[in-house]
Amino acid sequence: MTPAKKKVAGAPKEVIAKGNNEERWYQTAVFYELLIRGYFDGNGDGTGDFKGLTERLDYLKWLGVDCVWLLPFFQSPLRDGGYDISDYLSVLPEFGDLGDVVNFLDEAHRLGMKVIADFVMNHTSDQHPWFLESRQSRDNPKADWYVWNDDDQKYLDARIIFVDSEPSNWSWGPERQQYYWHRFFHHQPDLNFQNPEVQEAMLETVRFWLDMGLDGFRLDAVPYLFEKEGTNCENLPQTHEYLKRVRKEVDRLYPGRVLLAEANQWPADVVDYFGEGDECHMCFNFPLMPRMFMSLRREQRYAISEILAQTPDIPEGCQWGIFLRNHDELTLEMVTDEERDYMWAEYAKDPLMKRNIGIRRRLFPLLDNNRRAAELFHALLFSLPGSPILYYGDEIGMGDNIFLGDRDGVRTPMQWSPDRNAGFSKADFAQLYAPPIMDPVYGYEALNVEGAMRNPSSFLHWLQRMIDVRKQHPLFGLGSFEVLSAENPSVLAYIRQYKEDIVLCVNNLSRFPQPVELSLQAWAGKAPVELLGRVPFPRIGELPYLLTLGPHSFYWFQLTEHVMEQP
Amino acid sequence: MIDIDTLTEPIREFLPKQRWYAGGAEIPDAVEIEDSETIRKEWPVLVHAVAAVGKKQVSRYQILIGLRPFGEHAQFLEGVEEGVIGPIESTEGPAYAYDALRDPELSKAFFEHIAPSLEKVEHIRAINTEQSNTSLVFDDRYIMKVYRRLMEGENPDVEITKALWDAGFTSVPEPISDWTFDRTSYAVIRGFLAGGSEGWSLALTSLRDLFGVHGNPSMAGGDFAPEAARLGEMTAEMHSKLKEAFGSREGKAGAWAQSMRDQLARLDHPDIDTAPIADTFAALERVKDAGPAIRVHGDYHLGQVMRTDLGWYVLDFEGEPARSVGERVSSTSPLKDVAGMLRSFQYASHAAMVSHEERLEGLALAWEDRNRQAFLEGYVARAHAAGLVPDAVEDFETVLKAFELDKAVYEVSYEQAYRPDWLDIPLHGIKKLTELTT
Repeated sequence: MTPAKKKVAGAPKEVIAKGNNEERWYQTAVFYELLIRGYFDGNGDGTGDFKGLTERLDYLKWLGVDCVWLLPFFQSPLRDGGYDISDYLSVLPEFGDLGDVVNFLDEAHRLGMKVIADFVMNHTSDQHPWFLESRQSRDNPKADWYVWNDDDQKYLDARIIFVDSEPSNWSWGPERQQYYWHRFFHHQPDLNFQNPEVQEAMLETVRFWLDMGLDGFRLDAVPYLFEKEGTNCENLPQTHEYLKRVRKEVDRLYPGRVLLAEANQWPADVVDYFGEGDECHMCFNFPLMPRMFMSLRREQRYAISEILAQTPDIPEGCQWGIFLRNHDELTLEMVTDEERDYMWAEYAKDPLMKRNIGIRRRLFPLLDNNRRAAELFHALLFSLPGSPILYYGDEIGMGDNIFLGDRDGVRTPMQWSPDRNAGFSKADFAQLYAPPIMDPVYGYEALNVEGAMRNPSSFLHWLQRMIDVRKQHPLFGLGSFEVLSAENPSVLAYIRQYKEDIVLCVNNLSRFPQPVELSLQAWAGKAPVELLGRVPFPRIGELPYLLTLGPHSFYWFQLTEHVMEQP
Repeated sequence: MIDIDTLTEPIREFLPKQRWYAGGAEIPDAVEIEDSETIRKEWPVLVHAVAAVGKKQVSRYQILIGLRPFGEHAQFLEGVEEGVIGPIESTEGPAYAYDALRDPELSKAFFEHIAPSLEKVEHIRAINTEQSNTSLVFDDRYIMKVYRRLMEGENPDVEITKALWDAGFTSVPEPISDWTFDRTSYAVIRGFLAGGSEGWSLALTSLRDLFGVHGNPSMAGGDFAPEAARLGEMTAEMHSKLKEAFGSREGKAGAWAQSMRDQLARLDHPDIDTAPIADTFAALERVKDAGPAIRVHGDYHLGQVMRTDLGWYVLDFEGEPARSVGERVSSTSPLKDVAGMLRSFQYASHAAMVSHEERLEGLALAWEDRNRQAFLEGYVARAHAAGLVPDAVEDFETVLKAFELDKAVYEVSYEQAYRPDWLDIPLHGIKKLTELTT
């Protein structure tokens, strides 16, 4: 093993003529994750809905969002935030009806935006008619649609994911006197994908939503579709086969739609979900995000750079999804034991980091409301290999309300204005699905879209500008990625390159100013031009290139042939 | 092409200006070119020479001489007058001679000469931090280390790096090629640890963070302890592979104590109370079990380890520059290396207080203690399992403390001679070590 080898990590191989670029929009897109409930209330009932969301598409267009990712909006008893679906073909009434969905999709498409939605294949709600029927008896038409067994001693090698609330992966079904299998909550029975009828039914729902105009799915909990005795029941070959079948169907009937897999695994294992470029188009790079927080805390790059070094190349036409925060906690679960040990060793003794583990927090509170750090994090998000996914509200630096409990703390209403209910809803305050943030630092009177729009130096404007710059350089989505040697451990520097376009990114992970000498001889003669202000910097020579960076600052330099001449 | 002896005089003046020259600032009383070979015959010419320096005590230095026609501009020599040897007559007309390792073209020619089978390299840069050798990095893939002061016998750096690599220890740079004749090592090419930082820089990063927050180091974001623990684990692994590759014998506490006492006797500093130091050495002599003696790194500190994306690496097995070759290759307790690293933690914690601010001393001390602890935690369990250290805790502590004090005594002499500004650090170290009762 030669560490000296140049690592080109995690970057898609250069796109060749096959497949047209428009169908691969997701490789350069900026994603924006939101929950309909919390975005904008169009009918004044205190809950966000499709009608309201449609009204706010102009804002997302202005920000530069290419694709909206919707958290689950299907019919559900809502015992797991809508991930417990009781009817795949209808919408939660408080969000609107199928007509509202169609209107929303049409308007998004008219503005040139795509829409993908959370989709759960692995399990349904125990209120789904399929399960209600299946549990009745051992011989009804849906009897074999779920995983039933006479005892709870099967598949014992599969770990229990929600160890705090579930004692077993099996629960008792009194009517048919058997146990049913569930990898998550007991009210979310796993579908039996061994059954061809289930496979076909799921494809049918996929077709239904793609016909409706959805541009793809974020596939929840994909590693668990199939079970097999003697295995941990994760990532089984049959699961991959089925996903390939779904992909084939998408390619055949709906080219240009995207499958984004949620497989919270190690990058080297996650790449299996890309197949040979014939499975999922995108996968999340999960370990990157907690390691960014760790690097910032440690003020040195190794937590980030070592995970990038372990991130394998991905097949052509594929892309990573990367994010700073999402609707889940800063999780240490669902990664390898080795990684968990490593993260615990680094985090668990540190009260500040420990406090943030297992609780859902938003980006700004996690960064102690440090704007410089937030800018640095977004500069990383927009320049590391992958397509960036923003979480609603983070663009205005929204806070959270951890007293709302587990998942609702980061799902408070979007703060649109300093008006009543943060401009989110015209309903009575008491009618709101959740109170907006009202504390003096993060409250909607101080932090809201309207105010941020009026202030040219707001974080929102800065972010909009960054997205705009990113879009001018497809290399951020498509280019190669090469980490540069820097003796100063607080500095993370890398080169992105796609065809003739080359960008040098230099990041200071420390809250103190730092110098760095970069050996840029391979680019000697080129002139760096800073991308945000088009400021020319001294030409690169044979000697190490010296840069000084302010606290938590970063540079994006385009390496050009010519410096702009003085008039 | 040239009469090499005409360069004798210019080289005599050239040597004291070189960082790698160990003879001080005085122009040496005698220089003789023992051996020379023209490696490249066309312009710019490359000549390899070995110079015997000194009358009484002869040291041999390797010099790579570049020649260009008189009047030809050489950008790489701009602002580095010390790189110029001087004018010379050649059969092709007047020329000037200079240090060829400052010339990218000739450095590449030399690289290709000693490793002809490697693919062509493009970009070269020098590593500026080195004292006794010259190292060049090629394309961020290879590092060529050119030994300046030549040793009799195989250079332990070459020998040990290779032996460790062959034993399956991957925390050393991969040996790729070496240029060795008559068991003398002239140059070596290894895999370059791209993306690496010295342990020293990482330690200072951590300390700066701590000084910025003024709290308990375990609460500080820049905590170094997990790195220190992994460094300890790597160190134990290195020692067990050294034992595997070179064997071990019974440690001789008496002989170790004697050489420590000899060094202590040479120490000349009015503020040091030598009695408690001597007591520790006497205690070493009395230990029941001193643990084994093995080949060790010999000059182990934070500047000799690199953190990369693949973890910690160890470099430079040449041993302490001020010791004789015989001393450098002889076996000793692996706790000598452990002591070296622990001393380095104290150095780092003091060096981070740029102007020795008193208000930071408590923090520096807390940082040192914490990382010392973490390093030992990483080291000890593995070292015990590999039979590298005394079994009994008291013996372990006595041996370790003796080696730490021995190292600190060495540091005092070294700082007196070379860096008086740093003298406070080992003085503090000795004070702290002798105040602790065992």
